[in-house]
Amino acid sequence: MSRNAHSPEPLPAQIVREYGPFDGADKIAGVTYDGHRVWAAAGAQMLAFDPASGRVERRLERAADAGTAFDGTYLYQIAEARIDKIDPATGDVLASIPAPGAGGDSGLAWAEGSLWVGQYRERKIHRIDPATGAVLRTIESNRFVTGVTWVDGDLWHATWEGDASELRHVDPDSGAVLERLAMPPDTFVSGLESDGAELFYCGGGSSGRVRAVRRPKTRAG
Amino acid sequence: MDSLIAAAGRALAVGDALAALKRVALREDPPALALRGIAMAQLGDYPRARELLRRAARAFGAREAIARARCVVAEAETALAMRDLGGSPRALAEAAAVLAARGDRANAWQAQLIAARRALLLGRVDEAAAVLATLAGTELPPALAAVAALAEAELALRALRTASARAALDRAETAARRAGVAPLLAEAADARAALGRIAARLIRAGHEQPLRLDQVEALLAADMLVVDACRRGWQAGDGWRSLARRPVLFALLRALAEAWPEPAERGELIARVFRTRDPDDSHRSRLRVEIGRLRALLAPSARIEATAGGFVLRPRSGRRVAVLAPPIDGDSASLLALLADGAAWSSSALAQALGASQRSVQRALAELETEGRVRSVGRARAQRWLAPPLLGFTTILLLPAALPAE
Repeated sequence: MSRNAHSPEPLPAQIVREYGPFDGADKIAGVTYDGHRVWAAAGAQMLAFDPASGRVERRLERAADAGTAFDGTYLYQIAEARIDKIDPATGDVLASIPAPGAGGDSGLAWAEGSLWVGQYRERKIHRIDPATGAVLRTIESNRFVTGVTWVDGDLWHATWEGDASELRHVDPDSGAVLERLAMPPDTFVSGLESDGAELFYCGGGSSGRVRAVRRPKTRAG
Repeated sequence: MDSLIAAAGRALAVGDALAALKRVALREDPPALALRGIAMAQLGDYPRARELLRRAARAFGAREAIARARCVVAEAETALAMRDLGGSPRALAEAAAVLAARGDRANAWQAQLIAARRALLLGRVDEAAAVLATLAGTELPPALAAVAALAEAELALRALRTASARAALDRAETAARRAGVAPLLAEAADARAALGRIAARLIRAGHEQPLRLDQVEALLAADMLVVDACRRGWQAGDGWRSLARRPVLFALLRALAEAWPEPAERGELIARVFRTRDPDDSHRSRLRVEIGRLRALLAPSARIEATAGGFVLRPRSGRRVAVLAPPIDGDSASLLALLADGAAWSSSALAQALGASQRSVQRALAELETEGRVRSVGRARAQRWLAPPLLGFTTILLLPAALPAE
């Protein structure tokens, strides 16, 4: 495929800081950022920590198996084969929609009034209607897709395939890979979220950690 | 790692195999196959579990080497649970190497423990000891530490090192309690019971006395000439000599030792060794020949002196003599006593050691096998006989550690 031919060489990812492992959370799936705290999906619970101190400030007893997103008010969390809309203040589930991968779902992001869902082994990213779960469009990747995030109009997703992980900036229209950041060996990325500025937060799977990775400077042009 | 796999893995980790299956029952992608395999193993359907794990390993392929290696380890553990010991251990060794190289130490250790337990079940005592030795000094997670300590206890019991066995069982219990795995605790308790069971009889100057394993060990450590009718040989000081391949000489030695300090009469020796009550000159000359052979072998430990009516045993350094016999008389007790070393015996070697015909030994083995008191591996000429394991070999408990793609 043409997007393989034009795939740029990967740069090494710069890990700025590591958080965790956290008490009672032996693995981390999705991550998101609400402007103050980083939320991480940890299996049987969601936890929120202060990225400055690393201290856990909130815990919600909610099934949290894969991606996590924040729309400015509410959290979205993939659990089993559904996406729960959760009030971060109370932990109540306000609504649930079916996940587009029927459980084969990985990452979750919020952008442009839609939810974006990574479908892991299908190597796809779906844009779905957050009210109904209907698939609006689908972007194909050539790697297993884990976390998904939007920052400054750029779509980034994490890959975890062949025992290696990368962060990739892709063209949302063509799916072409524009930038690649290779994680160090045996460092895997489950969930991905941008802080809207310099950093990506990466869920670290069974390491139980969340890693902050520096976002490359915007390319010239 | 996707959402339902994570949810199913969460269910498996707390032992809810049905909940796990429900989430991935209809999926055919490799992680789902692996999870289904592990769930089926937890539910006790080992053949189905192996098939699913094999398919998962194939489907992961070379690019997902860690996930594939974990499936290989899980399948090997399932095979162990089925007591299917055929097949090559190479795939397991390769998987262990991949996992160790990629930093998945817990699963690499688990692969090694499976290899050690497999060797124990095959009667390859030295191989099992060598694998366990490579794990010594590593900080194993509690469940794996318990399994390793139980295997060490079995090795120590087989070698009559009861103090080490006790110490290993203490370690196993502590680790099993930390891991919170009840079947491992039960296994350690069972092994402790084996320590208290009657393991042999001491025959000394016409008196008999039952001995527990630790008393057997103490007897063998004492500065005596011990003629061991369980393992078929003798021990004097710290030297052990086997007569398992010389049944006539062993029968002679045992008769001399049982008579000690008195001489054994010629007629009595001929009756016991050649099994005849009606000796002629040829028996008497054969007896002289066999005594001559035994005298040569025994020279470092004892002399054999001729008396007017027969022969008497004179141990070196004024040592006293004792005979260690199986707990009860009879062919099956003698067979079980020989197999107690944990090694794999051919029926011809057993027949040779007992001085019995191979056919009668095979008959006795077949009976013992139906009673579950011996087991065999291999077929036809490659068939070997072993004592049942002293320990239960709890398996499958550790499988969640082999979950793929995390």
